[in-house]
Amino acid sequence: MNRIEEKLKALKSKGKKAFITYMTAGLPDMERMKQIICAQEEAGTDIIELGIPFSDPVADGPVIQSASRRAIEQGVNLSGTFQAVEELRGDCQIPIVFMMYYNTILYYGVEKFVDKCIACGVDGLIVPDLPYEEQDEIKAFLGKEDAPILIPLVSPVSAQRIPMLLEGARGFVYCVSSMGVTGQAADFHKNVSNYLQNVKKYSHIPIMMGFGIRTPQDVQGYKEIVDGAIVGSHFIKMMEENQYNIDKIKEYIKSFKAGF
Amino acid sequence: MNKNSYYGQFGGQYVSEALMNTLHSVEEAFEEAIKDQKFWEEYNYYMKEYVGRENPLYFAKRLTEKYGPKIYLKREDLNHTGAHKINNVIGQILLARRMGKTKVIAETGAGQHGVATATGAALFGMECTIFMGAEDIQRQELNVFRMKMLGAQVVSVTSGSSTLKDATNEAIRAWAKTAEDTFYVIGSAVGPHPYPKMVKEFQRVIGREAKAQILEKEGRLPDYVVACCGGGSNSIGMFADFLDEENVKFVGVEAAGLGIETGKHASAMAMGKPGVLHGMRSYLLQDDDGNVQIAHSISAGLDYPGIGPEHAYLRDTKKVEYVSVTDEECINALLELCKLEGIIPAIESAHAMAYVFKMAKDMPKDQIIVMCLSGRGDKDVHTVASYLKGEDMNK
Repeated sequence: MNRIEEKLKALKSKGKKAFITYMTAGLPDMERMKQIICAQEEAGTDIIELGIPFSDPVADGPVIQSASRRAIEQGVNLSGTFQAVEELRGDCQIPIVFMMYYNTILYYGVEKFVDKCIACGVDGLIVPDLPYEEQDEIKAFLGKEDAPILIPLVSPVSAQRIPMLLEGARGFVYCVSSMGVTGQAADFHKNVSNYLQNVKKYSHIPIMMGFGIRTPQDVQGYKEIVDGAIVGSHFIKMMEENQYNIDKIKEYIKSFKAGF
Repeated sequence: MNKNSYYGQFGGQYVSEALMNTLHSVEEAFEEAIKDQKFWEEYNYYMKEYVGRENPLYFAKRLTEKYGPKIYLKREDLNHTGAHKINNVIGQILLARRMGKTKVIAETGAGQHGVATATGAALFGMECTIFMGAEDIQRQELNVFRMKMLGAQVVSVTSGSSTLKDATNEAIRAWAKTAEDTFYVIGSAVGPHPYPKMVKEFQRVIGREAKAQILEKEGRLPDYVVACCGGGSNSIGMFADFLDEENVKFVGVEAAGLGIETGKHASAMAMGKPGVLHGMRSYLLQDDDGNVQIAHSISAGLDYPGIGPEHAYLRDTKKVEYVSVTDEECINALLELCKLEGIIPAIESAHAMAYVFKMAKDMPKDQIIVMCLSGRGDKDVHTVASYLKGEDMNK
């Protein structure tokens, strides 16, 4: 069974919410990234989104843009990240989702990319510039055994598209909670409650809320609806401010989990 | 996959889910508008009374005497705001108004599209924000001031390479956030479907006029139609009405910057590797990790690492030949046009001129070249001066 599905099933049986973080691959360097991933698993993070840096991250706000740029300057790329995940997989089983832009996949070669995900143990993919209408090309290879799950993204203005986006979906639904890019303040879309309820109505898999979340209080009002929360830009900022100190990172994760 | 959004394997809609409904409603409104005679009447009214169309297809007598074949220049430089960009802006803003949008945003490289959009926004009383790379803001100071005079807010973009590519990223980000009341006026034949198609329809007027004019002057179609290509809006508009003609040949001229072999250029076609950027799949300059490479050209308007998807298709089907000329060749051609015809062209358009001079050498005198002179060069005087660094222009 796919690690994401396994994890979410376990959480559901315990009646618990999922806590998902985002970090840019290769920061502060590959070795310490691996240590942080292991530490996150220990501290209770349920799923990790690993951002593959790209030169033109149009779905991202300033924090992830600058992290992405720094990573590229340090030579971080897809091949290196695959290698790191493969090395991790011996003793670390936390579900890992690659968050990346489609050009990186296309340049690597779509089938070769999927095969490499299978070989290295990448469990899911979030590709923000690959909407439903453009997914056929990659989906042709996602039926392979142990292939990663393509996580469906839903936006506050998806409206009538929601049933189509969720049909046959696996893993979890990524509900973008505000318009625009990652990392803005938690000023969610004005109808966010209705929107989340609408997604919940059509979804047969857990739904997660992301974009602009910093603290458990940010999602307090939506706890009854969503199955988990995703913290990205704030998580990166927090790590930077604490010089990637492992204890501080663990502390943040534990306190978010406790308050959630 | 929505086949309508593709030209062969190029095009598509590579945008975030948040923009998909927006693109559908733009497409719906556009398809409805182009079937509405009233829409075209209004567009034509502004083309004539405001933009100053039709503009001449000028027979360049002295260039012809020197270079051989008959050279005709389609004078888009004589349009209001000084370039072809206004044709598309009027079309898109009329569409935005039809959709009930009150705000427009746009990206700009050389500033011509920004000025055109600010102009259209002023004309129709819309709020206007222009995204421009910090480096381009320096290169095109005068156009920045023009936009401000026209009431637009100019946002300086400092991410990435601080040029057109990054200004476009920032415009897309702003659009995803504000699409509910904002229309994104894309300036070139790029972006997600239906933009490349819209830009072509609103620039088609260039080639339509040129075709009628050459038939009137020469009683026959030209042998070659030539235009410069950054994203490719003047060229697709120039080519559009000629494309079905069997005996017309087409040349698109990209910017070779310091030379293709130096790696410092803006020729997406020369490298021939498809990729995805700004919502479209097309030829794209990329490094070994699939990151988008920074383009280089003396021309801010051609300084773009991609090219419109229909151009990519026209290249693969060999309908259009894509070539490139260097900064140096371009400046020489620019000065030649100044001296022989008294026309100061935009640096962008001078790329097409440079290739016309090259190809003319091997052509018989009775052949005809029609070239799109896409913009005037007032905005580029500074750039030309600093390129020549005081070199004697009269030698």
